[in-house]
Amino acid sequence: MKVNERPIVRAEGLVKQVDGPSGPLTIVNDVSLQVFSSESVAIIGVSGSGKSTLLALLAGLDIATEGIVWLNGQCLDALDEDGRALIRARQVGFVFQSFQLLPGLSALENVLLPLELAGRDRADDRAREFLDDVGLLNRAGHYPSQLSGGEQQRVAIARAFAVEPSILFADEPTGNLDNETGGRVADLLFRLNREKGTTLILVTHDPALGGRCTRAMSISDGRLSEIEG
Amino acid sequence: MNPWFMAWRMLRREWRSGEIRIVLLALIVATAGLVSVTALGDRLDQAFEKQGSALIAADLVVRLPNPPPDNFIARAGRRRLAHTLATNFRSVVLYEDQTLLTDVKAVRPGYPLRGELSVSVGAGGSRTVSGPPRRGEVWVDTQLLARLGTTVGRGVKLGRKAFTIAGVITLEPDRGGMGFALAPRVMMNEADLEATGLIAPGSHVHYRWMLAGATREVGAMRQWLQEHGVAEGELEDVRNARPRFRVALDRGARFLSLAALVSVLLSGIAISRATQYYARRHWDHAAIMRCLGATQSEIARIYLGQLVVLSLVGGLLGAGLGYVAQQALVWILPAMVGVDLPLPSYKPLLVGLSASLLAVLGFGLPAVARLRDVPAMRVFRRDIGAVPPRVRVLYGVAALVITGFVFWLADEAELALWILGGTAATLLLLALAAVTMIKALSRWRGGLGASWRFGVGSLVRRGSSTVAQTVALGIGVMGLLLLTVVRTELFNAWDDRLPPETPNHFLVNIQSNQVADLERFLERNGAGVARLTPLVRARLAAIDGRPVEPDDYEVGFARRMVERAANLSWLEVLPDDNKLVAGQWWEPGQWDKGLVSVEQDYAAALGLSIGDVLTYRVADRTFDVRVVNLREVSWDSFSPNFFLIVPPDLLDGFPQSHITSFHLPAERGDMIARLIDQFPNVTDIDIEAVLRQVMRLMDRVNWSLQFIFIFALLAGALVLIAAVQTTRAERRREIAVLRALGAQKRQLRLGLLSEFAALGVLSGLLGAVAAGLIGWGLAQFLFDIPYRWSAGLWVIGLLGGGAGIAVLGYLASRPDIEAPAWRLLRQSE
Repeated sequence: MKVNERPIVRAEGLVKQVDGPSGPLTIVNDVSLQVFSSESVAIIGVSGSGKSTLLALLAGLDIATEGIVWLNGQCLDALDEDGRALIRARQVGFVFQSFQLLPGLSALENVLLPLELAGRDRADDRAREFLDDVGLLNRAGHYPSQLSGGEQQRVAIARAFAVEPSILFADEPTGNLDNETGGRVADLLFRLNREKGTTLILVTHDPALGGRCTRAMSISDGRLSEIEG
Repeated sequence: MNPWFMAWRMLRREWRSGEIRIVLLALIVATAGLVSVTALGDRLDQAFEKQGSALIAADLVVRLPNPPPDNFIARAGRRRLAHTLATNFRSVVLYEDQTLLTDVKAVRPGYPLRGELSVSVGAGGSRTVSGPPRRGEVWVDTQLLARLGTTVGRGVKLGRKAFTIAGVITLEPDRGGMGFALAPRVMMNEADLEATGLIAPGSHVHYRWMLAGATREVGAMRQWLQEHGVAEGELEDVRNARPRFRVALDRGARFLSLAALVSVLLSGIAISRATQYYARRHWDHAAIMRCLGATQSEIARIYLGQLVVLSLVGGLLGAGLGYVAQQALVWILPAMVGVDLPLPSYKPLLVGLSASLLAVLGFGLPAVARLRDVPAMRVFRRDIGAVPPRVRVLYGVAALVITGFVFWLADEAELALWILGGTAATLLLLALAAVTMIKALSRWRGGLGASWRFGVGSLVRRGSSTVAQTVALGIGVMGLLLLTVVRTELFNAWDDRLPPETPNHFLVNIQSNQVADLERFLERNGAGVARLTPLVRARLAAIDGRPVEPDDYEVGFARRMVERAANLSWLEVLPDDNKLVAGQWWEPGQWDKGLVSVEQDYAAALGLSIGDVLTYRVADRTFDVRVVNLREVSWDSFSPNFFLIVPPDLLDGFPQSHITSFHLPAERGDMIARLIDQFPNVTDIDIEAVLRQVMRLMDRVNWSLQFIFIFALLAGALVLIAAVQTTRAERRREIAVLRALGAQKRQLRLGLLSEFAALGVLSGLLGAVAAGLIGWGLAQFLFDIPYRWSAGLWVIGLLGGGAGIAVLGYLASRPDIEAPAWRLLRQSE
C-alpha cells in the first residue's frame, strides 16, 4: 500500500440496505477501501455477493445508506446528483457486463456520445482513434445488433476510454462472453489501462480475471476482505 | 455540451431506428386532420355565409333612418365593398278607381348584390334581372295583379307619377321575413322617386343600405359602423336576419367542431401513447447517459428538444398535408361542394401548428419528464422508482393546457364541456373496468386451457400497462363509434326534421270565412292536409301598466316588435317543436284566463319575465295577459311558430285571421297564381329558397363529416396501433422465453389472440357504452334533436372492437412468433 500517496478512490464504512419482502436487507456491509492512482483492483465475489452494488456506490451511481465515498479527493455525499454526474463525465469511465450500448446509435456514435456529453473538441476524430485502438474502425457504421458480443464489448471499451477517464469501473466485463473472446477483451482492457495510466476497479466472479489485476479483494455477503497475493 | 444540438443529432440518428416514426406519424395525422378540418370548415363557413347572403341580397344590410352619409360611403369604397341602397315605404297605388296599400321598394343599379331577382314578362317565363326597372316602369307581385285585377302592360299611379307595370316579380331574394301582414310589392327605380313626391321630411321611410365584399372587409366594416354610431340591432346579416338558416348554420358548425375535436383528442391519445412508449424505450438510454455523466437537466433538455423538433417537423408536415388534402378534395369533388369555396384564412395553419406543439408537450411531456428521473442505477437494476410528484404536476398542467385548447377550438363552452367531460368520464370508467377485469381474470384463469391461461395471464401480469392499454383502446373505440354510428344517427335525426314534404309556402291573412274553402282548395290541389292556425293581431300597449313606446327601445329587434302589431295565437297544448324553459303550461280550467306564453328571445329583447302583465290593444279594445311561461322555439322546423301564445278561449270575439303552411311540389308551381286569384286577400310567402339553402347546407355538412371521418379513422387506428405497440417489447421477451421452453407456435398464436380478444371485447363494450352516453348527451342537450339508442352501436363496438383489436394485436406480434427463437432472445436482451 502506498502510504504517502492520496488515494484516488476512498470509501469509509459503506453500508447499503434495501427493503426486502422480509424486512431490510443489507447488501453492502461496512466496507472501507482505498485505491491509488494507476492501480488495477479486482473485487471478486459470487453472484449476489454485493459486488455490483459496491461498484455502483464507489462510482456515485447509487447512494449509500451509511458511509462516505471520495473520488479524487471529492466527497460524493457532499454533491447532488448533477454534481456526481459532472464528476462521472470528467473522470469516470464504465464497462458493463451487458455492454449497454445504445441500440439506435452506430458503433462510432456510441463512442461519440460521452465525448459530446463532455463537450470535447475534435470529438469525431477522437472517437475514430479509439475505435481504431480496439480494432473496429472498419465497423464504425454498424449498429450494436450487427455486432457480435465481443465486438460490442470492444465498442464499449472504446467508449469508456474515449473521454480519458482517471478511473475506470468495469462490471463483469467478460461475463457475457465465451472464454476466448473474453480473454481477448480482457487483454484489450488491460492494455489500454496500462497505456493510458487509468485506475481500474473491476468486479468479477472469475478469479482468473481478477488475478490479472495488481490487487485483488473478495466480497462475500457484502463484506470486503483483501486477498493477500 | 449543447443539449439542444445533442437533441437534434440524437433525433436524426434515432430516426433511422424507426422508434420515433410512430410519434411523428401520430403528430402528422393529428395536425393534418385538424388543419384540413379547420381549413375546410373555415371555407365552408365562408361559403355558407355567401349562400346565406342570397337570402338578404347582401352580405350586410344596414337599416338607416336616412340615406348613408358620405363618410359611410367613402369607408365602404376604401374597403372595396360593393354597395347599393333600397328605399322602402308604404304607399297607396291607384289603378283606375281602386286603391291598394303596397310595400314600395325603390332600388338602384347593383341591386341585388347577392342572390337572384327574377321577373316574368308576359308568356316568356321568368328571367333573372339585375338592377332596377327602367324609369317609368314598375315590377309588381302576383298579389297586386290579383287584387287590382290588372295585368302586365297596364298603368298604375304612385303618388304624382304614372307607371307602366313591366313585369311580375317571381323571386325577390330579400323578401322572406315572417311579418305576417305583408302588403303587395311594388318595385321601382330610385331615379323616379322624386317625381312621385312621396318622400317628404317626416315620411315613414326605411333605408336599407346593402354591402357585399370579402368576408374580412365586411367584418371590418361592420365593426367600423358600430364604432360610428350604428346600433348592433340595425345591422343585419344572414345570422340574425334568418333564424332558420342561422340554426342550421350553427348546428352544422357544431357537427364539424365535434368531429374535429374528437379527431384531435384521438390523435392526442395516440401521441400520448406513442411518446410514452418512446420514453419507456429510452429509460435505458437515459440511465446510460447518466452513467456517462449527463446531468438531469441536460437529459431533460435533450429529450425536450427532441419533442420540440418533432412537434415542429410533424406540425409543418401535417399542416402541409392537411392543406393539400382539403384542397385536393375541393378540386376532386367540385360537384359536391357546388359553389366556389373562398380560400381558407391563416387560422387553420395557426391552429394546426399550435395543436401540434401543445399535443406533443401536453401529451408527451409527462412521459419525457420521467426520463429526467431515471436513476443511473438502472444500468445494474432494471427497475425505476415510482412517479415523482413533479410528474403528477406535469400531468395536471398538461390536462389544463389540453382543456384550454379544446375550449379554444370548440368556440363554444357547452360542446367543449361535453367532449371533455365525456372523455374524462370514459377514462375513469375504462380504468375502473380494467382494474376490475384484471382482478376477476386473476381469480378465474385457473380453469382455462394452457393458451388461454397464457394469454389472459399476460393481461394480469402486466397489470398497470393492461389498464393503460384498455383505456387507450377504449377511448379509440369510443372515438371511432362516436364518429361513425353516433354521428350518422345524430345527423339522420337532424335530417329527418326536414323531410321532402317540409312546408315551403306560408299563407297569411286568411279570413275566418275563407278557412273551409281554402282547406278544400289545398286538398284538391295536392298540397296535403294543412293545419290552419288562427291569430289575432294586437299592438303591445303597456308592460305592468307602464305605457310602451318604440322610442323606449334602442335595439332594432325590440323596437320593431313594439312598432308593429304582434301575432297572438292560441293553443291548448304546447307544440312539439317548442320547449318550456321556465314556468308552466296552462290547464284546461285556465283556457279563458288572461295568460300568455312568450318566446324566450322575444322576452329577453323586451326585458319580460314571468309574472309581468302585458296590455295589448286590438282596434279600440284592450286586454291584459300575464306571462306564465317562456318557450324555446325550434325555428328550423319550418312550421308556423309564434312569439306569443295565449289560452284557447281568451280571444273569442276578437277579429282574427289564419295562417298555414304547406308543401308545394315544384311541378305544381302554377297553383299559387290560381290560389291568389281565388283568395285575393291572402298573401303567399315562398320560403323555398331558404329551405333549399338549409338543405344544401346540410348536404355539405354531411359531406365534410365524411371527409373528417377519414382523418379521425386514421387517428383511431393510430391509437390502437400505439396501444398495441407499447407492450410489444415486453411481449417479445415473453414469447422468446416461451419459445425457448418449447411452446408451440399454435399455442402462442392462440394465447396472443385470446389476450387481444379479451382486451378488445372489454374496450369495445366500454367504448360503445361511452359513445352511446356521449351521443345521447349531445343530442339531448346540445343538438336538441331526438336520439335513438341503436343496437348497431353495441354490435359494432363489441364484435368490431373485439375482432379488430384481436387481429391488429395479432398482426403486430406475428413477426415475433414467426422469427427464430434465438434471434428473439438476442433482441430482447
